[in-house]
Amino acid sequence: MMGRILALGLGAAVLATGCIPVQIQAPDRPIEINLNVNIRQEVIVRLERDAEELLQQNQDLF
Amino acid sequence: MTQRTSSLAAAFTMLSVMLAPPAFAQRDSAIAEARAAGLVGEQADGYLGFVTGAQISADLRGRVEQNNMRRRAAYTERAASANANVAEIAVAVACEVFQDPHRLRVGERYRDEAGQWRQHTATQAVAVPAVCN
Repeated sequence: MMGRILALGLGAAVLATGCIPVQIQAPDRPIEINLNVNIRQEVIVRLERDAEELLQQNQDLF
Repeated sequence: MTQRTSSLAAAFTMLSVMLAPPAFAQRDSAIAEARAAGLVGEQADGYLGFVTGAQISADLRGRVEQNNMRRRAAYTERAASANANVAEIAVAVACEVFQDPHRLRVGERYRDEAGQWRQHTATQAVAVPAVCN
């Protein structure tokens, strides 16, 4: 009985804290995300084997 | 009937021989000479280009454009199987070419990622695109 009340209380507390409004301030400057280069580098690394094979198969073109 | 079948088979054999790419295709010697002469060179985008200011004959222009079309076809085919786009494969190949002294030889000109034509010399190593490293 006691345990049940405790559990209910805990649940209510969790719900209550979950509902506290969080204020988010918009940044005054736009956030610059410069992932472009990294993504491309990653892609190039991933394609290394493909590039090697392509060169092997098309020796006359390079 | 058998005659017809065999002549059909012969026709198909002829056709497949005609359509098949040459097994050991040679590098185009005219392009090789133009590269050595500094008229054309490898570009950071994975294609051949005409060096700024170079006098390019119609014949050479045609050969280079044909070569680039075949490169593009190879890139396109590979892009599909590698789940990448054509430009990405092309740059990945350029990265290999720029770092291979057998493919971008001393004396040859090349176009860097900024679009500038440079020369690979014994003392000046090739400026490899930043994206390759």
